[in-house]
Amino acid sequence: MFDPSLIKKDFPIFSRNVNGKPLVYLDSGATSQKPGIVLDAEREYYEKHNANVHRGAHTLGDEATAMLALARSVVAKFVGGRESEIIFVRNTTEAINLVAYAWGLDNLRTGDVILSTEMEHHANLVPWQQVAERTGAKIELAKVTSGGLLDLEDYARKLKLKPKLVTMAHVSNALGTVNPVKEMTKMAHGVGAVVLIDGAQAVPHMRVNVTDLGCDFYAFSGHKMLGPMGIGVLWGKKEILTKMSPFLTGGGMINEVYPDHSTWTDLPDKFEAGTPNVAGAVGLMAAIEYLETLGMEQVGRHDREMVAYAISKLEKVDKVKLLGPVNAELRSGSVGFEYMGVHAHDVATVLDSEGVAIRSGHHCTMVLHKSLGLAASVRASFNVYTTTDDIDALISALDKVKKVFGK
Amino acid sequence: MDLYKEEVMDHYEHPRNVGEIESPNLQGRDSNASCGDMVQFQLAIENGIIKNAKWQGIGCAITTAAASKLSEWLVNKNIEDVKSKSEKELTKLAIGFEVNPGRLKCLTLPVRVVKRIWES
Ligand SMILES: Cc1ncc(COP(=O)(O)O)c(C=O)c1O
Repeated sequence: MFDPSLIKKDFPIFSRNVNGKPLVYLDSGATSQKPGIVLDAEREYYEKHNANVHRGAHTLGDEATAMLALARSVVAKFVGGRESEIIFVRNTTEAINLVAYAWGLDNLRTGDVILSTEMEHHANLVPWQQVAERTGAKIELAKVTSGGLLDLEDYARKLKLKPKLVTMAHVSNALGTVNPVKEMTKMAHGVGAVVLIDGAQAVPHMRVNVTDLGCDFYAFSGHKMLGPMGIGVLWGKKEILTKMSPFLTGGGMINEVYPDHSTWTDLPDKFEAGTPNVAGAVGLMAAIEYLETLGMEQVGRHDREMVAYAISKLEKVDKVKLLGPVNAELRSGSVGFEYMGVHAHDVATVLDSEGVAIRSGHHCTMVLHKSLGLAASVRASFNVYTTTDDIDALISALDKVKKVFGK
Repeated sequence: MDLYKEEVMDHYEHPRNVGEIESPNLQGRDSNASCGDMVQFQLAIENGIIKNAKWQGIGCAITTAAASKLSEWLVNKNIEDVKSKSEKELTKLAIGFEVNPGRLKCLTLPVRVVKRIWES
């Protein structure tokens, strides 16, 4: 049985209070909390196996190398890719930058089109702006409908511009919208584009299979899926990764080094210059094992239940205007809203005084907020430990907002 | 809730000196990237003394109350005196209430705008 109140007990942080009240953590979209076993895995790595990888022949070095390889195989299996296609990075942002710089700079020319969407996190927009500036490529953004969905007609229209690269969030971090990425990928491949999906908000809540999606690159962060900060993943199709130049260069990724040039090792090491975050990878492996024990199908169902419950409660709060699709089946992970007449930061501060942690601001989606005509919004986001009690606590804390602001 | 005490709420609900000066001697604006809040200040100066200060913008309760208090404080101040004060000193003197670290940017936005006026 999937019982979030029991699951909560696996997460040490929930034993603390905030402002004298038990912590109600509704900011998992920013980063999730970590179960004890993830913390233990990292600690055990440092206590028993710590050494640098791929260097010298000694027992610890071999163990650390083997653990990194094992973590890679667990990640590969989790998302349905090959081990050689899993590149460890720091986070989604770094994964996207890797594609932007290592693929984009070599493959985009003046006048080429990069097609993205209005609902992207800055992590999937700013790197493309940089690449566009350097290559002379142009950025086009598919629109978002007033109902918070991606405007697929606009997307289809913009595909006629024959973009070289198409990129979109699997799940929007501000709207919660789940985009039909499989269908969108097929459409983009129809015009010959390379497709990168930003999976930062999807992988924590649903079974993702990159082979089934058919995309070329898929990026996600460990820290949003119960894993540690500082470890993330770029999955890329072998055929494309093989042809790409490295992103960062240095130790660990070379084959032979001469005074004036070098040759690169094979995948995935070619993209992992320098000492990797082995403890992070080991922690991520533990997080995946934890998620698999709960079952990704159950994890997904629980997420949809929380989204639906939050919508049903928030809908009834006077002054709350929900963002994103009304149909919980079309969303994942979070519920964003405006509290009419009170600034999102003021709402957040009052909620915090009640021990309720939520996110306020533009959630790194300034383009989206502008297109929706919003200055800032409030977002409650969930993970496996979120209970209906947590959401009820948010609803009662909103009463306090009403008291303080008389609205 | 300590932060939203009477004085802050009073300035938030009835902000002072909101508007524009017809021909200001100095003006400046800035925004907080994290929320899109924006504040503009305009000053009318005679013989080195601030005779009028008006502001306008969009912001949370903290930013609004801070701008309102700052606008009151500025009037009749010697500009050299204002210029010589650091952001921190101005925040303390002119605004005089405190916030938790997460809201510091909201509190200091109006002060930042005024500090930068001399640079523009
Ligand atoms: C949709 C989306 N993309 C990218 C990111 C960036 O993730 P990270 O900060 O881990 O690089 C986030 C994080 O908030 C996100 O929600």
